[in-house]
Amino acid sequence: MTSRRPLFRFPWRSRRQIARDLDTELAFHIDMRIAELVAAGVEVAEAGRRAVAEFGDLDGTRDYCRDLDTNTERDLQISDRLAEWRQDIRFAWRTIRRSPSFAIISVLTIVAAIGANTAIFTVTRAVLLAPLPYGSPGSLVAVYERPRGTASRGNPLSVPDFVDYRVAQRSLSGMAAYSDRSLTWRPSAGDPQLVTATSVTPNTFDLLDVRPALGRAFNASDDPASTRVILSFAFWSTAFGADSSIIGRPITLNDLPYVIVGVMPRAFTLTGTESMWTVLDLDRELADAPVTRKQHYLRVVARLRAGVTLGVATADLESISRRLQAQYPDANPDRLANLVPLHRDVVGDVRPALLLLQSAAALVLIIACVNLANLTLSRTIWRRQEMALRAALGAGRGRLARQILTESVVLAAAGGALGTAIAMVATRLLIGLDPAALPPLFDVRPDLSVVGFGLLLSLVTGALFGLLPALDAARANLHGALQEGGRGASGSRSGASVHRALVVAQVGLAVVLLVGAGLLVRSFGELTRVRVGFRSDHVLTAEIRVSGERYDSTALVNRFYDRVLGDVRTTPGVRRVGGTMKLPMDFRQPLSTIALEGQPVDPQHLAEVAYNLVRGDYFDALGIPLVAGRTFTEEDREDRPGVVLVNETAARAYFPDGHAVGRRVHLGPDPKSPMATVIGVVGDTRDEGFDVAPRPAVYASHRQNTWWRSLVVVVRTSGDPRAAEAALRRAVKSADPALALRGVRTLDDVLGESLAPRRFAMSLVSGFAAVALLLAAVGIYGVLAFSVARRTREFGVRLALGATRQNLLGLVVRQGMAWSAIGLALGVAGALAAGRLLEGMLYGVRLADPIALGLVTATLLVVAVVACVVPATRAARVDPITSMRAE
Amino acid sequence: MTRTPPEILQGTVDILILRTLAWQSMHGYAISHWIAERTDGVLTVDGAALYQALHRLENRKLVSASWGLSENNRKAKYYTLTAAGRARLKSEAAVWNRYADAVAKVLSPG
Repeated sequence: MTSRRPLFRFPWRSRRQIARDLDTELAFHIDMRIAELVAAGVEVAEAGRRAVAEFGDLDGTRDYCRDLDTNTERDLQISDRLAEWRQDIRFAWRTIRRSPSFAIISVLTIVAAIGANTAIFTVTRAVLLAPLPYGSPGSLVAVYERPRGTASRGNPLSVPDFVDYRVAQRSLSGMAAYSDRSLTWRPSAGDPQLVTATSVTPNTFDLLDVRPALGRAFNASDDPASTRVILSFAFWSTAFGADSSIIGRPITLNDLPYVIVGVMPRAFTLTGTESMWTVLDLDRELADAPVTRKQHYLRVVARLRAGVTLGVATADLESISRRLQAQYPDANPDRLANLVPLHRDVVGDVRPALLLLQSAAALVLIIACVNLANLTLSRTIWRRQEMALRAALGAGRGRLARQILTESVVLAAAGGALGTAIAMVATRLLIGLDPAALPPLFDVRPDLSVVGFGLLLSLVTGALFGLLPALDAARANLHGALQEGGRGASGSRSGASVHRALVVAQVGLAVVLLVGAGLLVRSFGELTRVRVGFRSDHVLTAEIRVSGERYDSTALVNRFYDRVLGDVRTTPGVRRVGGTMKLPMDFRQPLSTIALEGQPVDPQHLAEVAYNLVRGDYFDALGIPLVAGRTFTEEDREDRPGVVLVNETAARAYFPDGHAVGRRVHLGPDPKSPMATVIGVVGDTRDEGFDVAPRPAVYASHRQNTWWRSLVVVVRTSGDPRAAEAALRRAVKSADPALALRGVRTLDDVLGESLAPRRFAMSLVSGFAAVALLLAAVGIYGVLAFSVARRTREFGVRLALGATRQNLLGLVVRQGMAWSAIGLALGVAGALAAGRLLEGMLYGVRLADPIALGLVTATLLVVAVVACVVPATRAARVDPITSMRAE
Repeated sequence: MTRTPPEILQGTVDILILRTLAWQSMHGYAISHWIAERTDGVLTVDGAALYQALHRLENRKLVSASWGLSENNRKAKYYTLTAAGRARLKSEAAVWNRYADAVAKVLSPG
């Protein structure tokens, strides 16, 4: 028994080896038994027979054990491999702890890169990847009409057209329509509030395939006149404390008693802003079809019939468009139906910005990888002696490579975990900082898939930046390395060229980002310098709406607004008060057709102008200059002939002789409506955004057009505009305590919100560019410092042979700057090539903007010089004596 | 030597082997001998049952195996109790003792 010793065992046994081992074991048992029997006096042949018989089912045992052993062997392989990994990781951890500065730089780099990518991915996932909150959202489409042959999304439909499409179409399983409106909600206690409601056709919820969280959705039995309402989850929670006994209870909206029939689930929304849904009254509009057919405001969503493609459905609806055009040429001039997949329709504007941001973040990650590959490569070259020693002690090349790879993956995992955690918090802050930057339909919050993305990305990152150094370690020349005493990599020319290439790549990629950021910053600068045509400082705005039910006459509406505006005007600190249908830079621009008196009218090609209703001292309050004629006065009463103002662009376009004042125009769809006289010309304003040039605009008097019942009040103050809020609220309350005020904000805020998406993209890309620049600087510094350290002896020799210290300084700086220059050239070329991503995000600058490119070049060169100086001075300080003695 | 019915063996072989190996590491043949000696020949385990059990125990990591040289200088597979095997032996033995007591009580006259 004492002679037992473990024999050498190959790592893993083959199936054949397993079978052989088993036979050996069983044969031993039988032989022992035979020997025993023989010793007891049994004859040999008889002993053999008895031993086998006593053993029992030999073949069965052999099969049974072989299967079992194969199984055992596989378990062993797995646990062996796990043990090896554990060992690798333990070793990697020790190595990392030995050089904390390397570890800290690496982890910080990864935290920045992974953090940026994960944060952006949180938004990308929610907006671009997550399905819309409807059943089978893939087959949902939005329906618009657009002029034949254009690429725009198009306009909403008119009610009669919608009904005609719905009756005639054969390719859709359903069509629903909706439209936003404001309602005054009077709670049983407290002040009335203005809320946004969406009026929907009763089939909307069925079509979208969503079930209510509580109560019921609308159905065909809900006639248009019914006063039933469904609440959004958010409104139900805040206004009714999520009381589940709410179904069937009354609620006062626009002075009418409505009944709550349902509550929709949390995620459900149509427009992103609505608090409740009411039934859309199509019949009222249909009754006046000749006029309403020209009013295109209805948003339409439809579901493709099973098996019908988008193309087939589009062709189906286009044929109906042609028929409608033939039937009603003046209401449907040359327009064709346009079907847009609902998801694309919703994310349309954000998609390019998000792709840009995600690409920028990806660039940062690549730069980080290159940087870390370089750092790790330098370190493994220093560690060649250690590697050679381990190789000499029996570690295979694969094992050495895996060791390096494990180290980088461990670093990446640590950095990635931290980065992901930071990204989760950062996303919250980001969204909170700029809520207007994203479409409100999306619920952006970090979830498990985001965490998974961050961690997976970290592992890939680790593998990526560890790969090159790992291959290098596997290639290492064992003998040479030991002989040269570890410092020996000085001769390795291929190593140095890899370093150079990596630095150049890094600088190039950073330049791509810098150029992108530079262009966005320049665009933003250009935008904010745009002359908007009005002054936004010291102006407070708020929306007031009178309910159509009580304010059923022009006189009532005018009395209310006159009283409110008059009250506010007499408040100390208030200088001008006016009202408008639509603030500049806010919401969609209402349009109207225009026809000039005395000129032939082609109903197919009516000119369209921006249309606005104003009241009081609107132009003075916003500082819009009067160029000719006069503005509205109280004398332009509702019973007097209609008067309008036009902007300079309209004056130039329609009255090129310069005499706009006194001319008469016909506005809008109704051919029976009377002409209006132009009484003045005002300055152009940018109404649709900083980047949209003013179009011809007509201002009509709200006093004469009270059919539009809500008004945005504008108050110019001498001091802080917010101080006027109290006066405004008081004025509304005293004029009608049942009415509410909404959206109280300064005009500066309105403008800020319109710039939010651009500011968001610009700040993020600039941040990424700064990180990239920093990484590039670290890269240049690191490789130069490493090269200087390796060439200490060479520098010593040069000094001894008569080179000056300035010579050495120049030598190193030249080297670093040469890399940077190549990287710069490649980066600029790359940026110009990748410029497509920036399309539509630039304003007032070309892709090859000299100022942006100049700034980028200057910044990069300055940073590169700084990165070069430290290693260069170190080279210049080399002491020839010690440097040569060092080896 | 009376043969033990196989259905009883099925459950008991494992614990007998574990108990045997608690004494010291052995190869299969020695284990069968040891069991027969300890029970004065009442319990014998035939080869098939023994080796099936041994490989099963190895698969469950209750015993570990390594090659060694036997008393007569032949290559033999030696089995050793693992820590998990020792723990299993302890718990199984307790169950068996209780069971045996219970059976004895039922069978004892009076």
